[in-house]
Amino acid sequence: MARSTRRKLTLTSAVLAVAAITASTLPAQAASDPGLTATTIKLGITVPMTGIASPGYNKIPGAMKAYFDYVNANGGVNGRKITLVIKDDQYIPTTAVAKANELILKDKVFALVGTLGTASTKAISASTQLARRGIPSLFVNTGFSGFADKKAYPTTFSILPSYQMEAKIMGKYIKENYAGKKLALIYQDDDFGRDALAGFKQAGVTFGTYIPYASGSQSLPATGAGWISKLKAAEAEVTVLFGVSSASTAALANAYAAQFKTQWVLGSVGGDATTIAATNKAYVPLLTGAKGFSFAPAPTDSSDEYIKLFQSIYSAAQPNQTFDNNVVAGMSNAFLAVQALNAAGSNLTRANLIKVIEEKGATFASPFLTPLGYSTTSHVGATGYWIGTYEPTGALKPDGGKYTVFTTDSGNGDVVLSTYKRPAMPAKGLPN
Amino acid sequence: MLKKHPLLGFIIFGFILYLLGNRVDELRVFQGATVGIYVIAIASIILLTGYSGQVSLGHGALLAIGGYAATLSRIHWGLPVPLTFVVAVLAAALGGYLLGRAAARLSGPYLAGTTLALAIGLPSIANQFTQLGGEQGLPFDIGLPPSSLGADFTQYKWFFWITSIAALVSIYWLRNVMHSRFGRSWKAVRSNDVAAELAGINIGHNKVLAFTISAGLAGLAGALLAMTISTVSPGAFPLSLSFALATGAVLSGVTTLGGVMIGAVTLVAIPDIVDTVVHRLESSEVVANNLPGFLVSALLILTVLFVPNGPVEQMRAQHEKHAKKK
Amino acid sequence: MIQFINALLISIGAGSIYALMAIAMVLVWRSTRVVNFAQAGMALLSTYIGYELIQVTGNFWISLPMAMVLGAGISALVEILLIRALIKHSTSGPVAGIVPIIATLGLLGLIRATIGFIWGNQDVQIQPPLSKVGFSVGSETLALSPMNLLVLGTVLAMMLVLGFIFQKTHLGLSLRASAYSPEIAQLAGIRVAAIRTIGWAIAGAAGAAAGLLQTVNGTGALSPDSLEFSLLLTFGFIAAVIGGLESLPGAVLGAFILGLVLAITQIYISGTLVFIVAFVLLLLVLLIRPQGVIGAKVGRRA
Repeated sequence: MARSTRRKLTLTSAVLAVAAITASTLPAQAASDPGLTATTIKLGITVPMTGIASPGYNKIPGAMKAYFDYVNANGGVNGRKITLVIKDDQYIPTTAVAKANELILKDKVFALVGTLGTASTKAISASTQLARRGIPSLFVNTGFSGFADKKAYPTTFSILPSYQMEAKIMGKYIKENYAGKKLALIYQDDDFGRDALAGFKQAGVTFGTYIPYASGSQSLPATGAGWISKLKAAEAEVTVLFGVSSASTAALANAYAAQFKTQWVLGSVGGDATTIAATNKAYVPLLTGAKGFSFAPAPTDSSDEYIKLFQSIYSAAQPNQTFDNNVVAGMSNAFLAVQALNAAGSNLTRANLIKVIEEKGATFASPFLTPLGYSTTSHVGATGYWIGTYEPTGALKPDGGKYTVFTTDSGNGDVVLSTYKRPAMPAKGLPN
Repeated sequence: MLKKHPLLGFIIFGFILYLLGNRVDELRVFQGATVGIYVIAIASIILLTGYSGQVSLGHGALLAIGGYAATLSRIHWGLPVPLTFVVAVLAAALGGYLLGRAAARLSGPYLAGTTLALAIGLPSIANQFTQLGGEQGLPFDIGLPPSSLGADFTQYKWFFWITSIAALVSIYWLRNVMHSRFGRSWKAVRSNDVAAELAGINIGHNKVLAFTISAGLAGLAGALLAMTISTVSPGAFPLSLSFALATGAVLSGVTTLGGVMIGAVTLVAIPDIVDTVVHRLESSEVVANNLPGFLVSALLILTVLFVPNGPVEQMRAQHEKHAKKK
Repeated sequence: MIQFINALLISIGAGSIYALMAIAMVLVWRSTRVVNFAQAGMALLSTYIGYELIQVTGNFWISLPMAMVLGAGISALVEILLIRALIKHSTSGPVAGIVPIIATLGLLGLIRATIGFIWGNQDVQIQPPLSKVGFSVGSETLALSPMNLLVLGTVLAMMLVLGFIFQKTHLGLSLRASAYSPEIAQLAGIRVAAIRTIGWAIAGAAGAAAGLLQTVNGTGALSPDSLEFSLLLTFGFIAAVIGGLESLPGAVLGAFILGLVLAITQIYISGTLVFIVAFVLLLLVLLIRPQGVIGAKVGRRA
């Protein structure tokens, strides 16, 4: 009796499922690439909007949309307006794949843009077979150097310099400025931190004290205090922090509590004063005198023409949000995407877009102070860093008063002083 | 006739799935593969919690063991895909055996909390040893579908076929186990463990066996999960996965295998439906971010309040009430 | 030598935070006998309410007790509206094990989403009421600050007050009886439903205090997804198990043992092993002495 009920239930749900699915009709296959009409371009992004990794990152899509709307209001890109479909993946690779599938198969976007997180980007690329489908994945938000490899990821383009590049440049800076001092390194014990170790090794820097921490443990009560007690015991004069911003706040706060003084050198991921301020603005003055690394102009630098433009656009679009590095990152990403779409001209297809970034990407206008490395053999984005010192307000001021940029690669290439001069911003920051 | 030959029922259902797979678009096929994975994983929880009465809040860790075992065996030993799944089942079963031995003396909150701690702690091991790939993960590539199926046969359809077959086989096998003397002994312990012990059932062994089988199934689900996202990483097996599986088991009706499809379909369908609804509403960012979580949680609470034993048991109870009236 | 003293002080500081969590766990368990994720949600909500109170009054010391009172009220309300219905509808057997857990999980999700609706998903900040700079002894700064002492003091106060209530008062006896054996307690004339509500209210107050203190002792940042909460709850659970889930002093002792072991691991061995060591410690206790360090050897059929 009960079993036939179960059978009925299973069969009923199967019939219902069939009915529901056949009820959803497929649109007719367009002649051009999906996501494109005569007047619109549809882009998609998967990013943690909620969940533990989301604070800060969840501002990026809003920032991107602010710039896209600005461009749309001023004629769009070659007559097409850009829409951005935002999906929350909560920094979980399985969710990221499911959401990317929705973007590609349900929303039918033209291209992915700004995918965040190394594991998620890897999973999306492999599972949805971006390469086989020829779907561009523009300007992924991760420092993993592998995405610049054109053979492994033919349709993916990096934008951030890799962690290894950053460590190499940091290493050279340390060798030249802190020779003979007692060095210490606090790093996250996963690929992110290990990339840094590889970079430091290439730069020929060894530290007196290595303090690895398990990812996630930095928010436990004893952790930060434990680091400081070790640093104190080692009498570290220069301490490099290559971790996430919650680790930096733990280190700085506990150093203050223990009245421990050292020269802090902060990596770009954890060193963002704006993210630290979003956690607790009382910690920002603790950054005073610390060295910071960045490749974009500082968000507080209103004399920079890109920053000025972005600030005005963002304050109109999102008046209740603070303008910080996440906003700069998002708007720069969107800016570059618009440049790429524009360069592809009237014959906008997925294949053409990829080709034009490879052929002309290195000359695109961009807010970054380092050259872009896009070429027919490499999909690497920004390639270097400038070094600055933090003021009590949290503003990162470039050493020497002007942006001095060093560039390198993710391999064994040297770190060189760059002679790159950022070209002037196109009029009103719009594609021309 | 179906009652006498349940195997026939499974074969017919398999045929229906085959037809469905040919009719629907790729997104549905991919979701269908995900449903298959959830069916296996939820069934493993129904076995452990519904039949054997042991609460696990950390099944995601067992899925992780399976996923990593399959991936590593493919990368380092180049095993053909079916064998990688076997390795996944065995590795997870071993983990379940060890966990079951440790847990046999635990009950209630101790077991729940221990499995919770395991779910949080196990993924961090991936960062300890570089062979485990760390946060970025390792690739798990099962290759393209065989060319004999035609050039139009997509990767996701291949995933769908593999998970469907795996799910059908697993549930059929599990059903047979539940009807065997093992199943009866679990039911006996569940109703009255003192009486069961007096009747000669070794409760410790009983519980460990349930854990081992449950873990083996979870390992298979984990390997299939790795297959569908083509990678394994610690982030793919978060705490929310363990909670989602437990939720799915409760929605299905944790004491019976019959409703397992319901929970699995719900876990996949609800986020999809909520996503469509939220996008249709065109609301502010704050609402769009939090509405999905709100709706899912509200649905869960309502289900637990009104259908705590699951829809299948509910219908059966009503049926019996009807029969008694007559 | 000084590093060792600091290591001890660090472990005391960490231990007191774990103790806050562990006390909350044991309290909830002893008064409700349910693994209760909703309490975490209500602690989070109470902390947000505390934040609003601080914004309005500008004073932490006034806001803390008010948040505790409100936390107690909200918990009691949830118990009346939701949990009673839950207990009425669910049956006994294996379903009774997992279904309430899932229901409370759903409640946690609901609370998180509601907090997100009201306060948004970005961090809000609460500044600590006391200094976090360590006391100086000569030229040395110790790893002990006024804030650490506040947490430690609160832990001891909670342990004493709650312990007194549970062991020495009629209310405490009713709480324990109702949780352990509702039918017998009812036969003994205890109004089980009302007692349960009180139990949840007490747990809600404790949770509010734990949430606020833990937040200001940490970075002071608060968001619906505060990582701190789920991680610390697990560590609180481990601490409670080490001490014995039935005993409040046990929970505190377990928390300090955990704090010591983890601090030694981080300072003298390696910071990467924290989670593994915690889990191994849990397993060892469960295998060797499952009733905990303080718990009496009792057949656990509950």
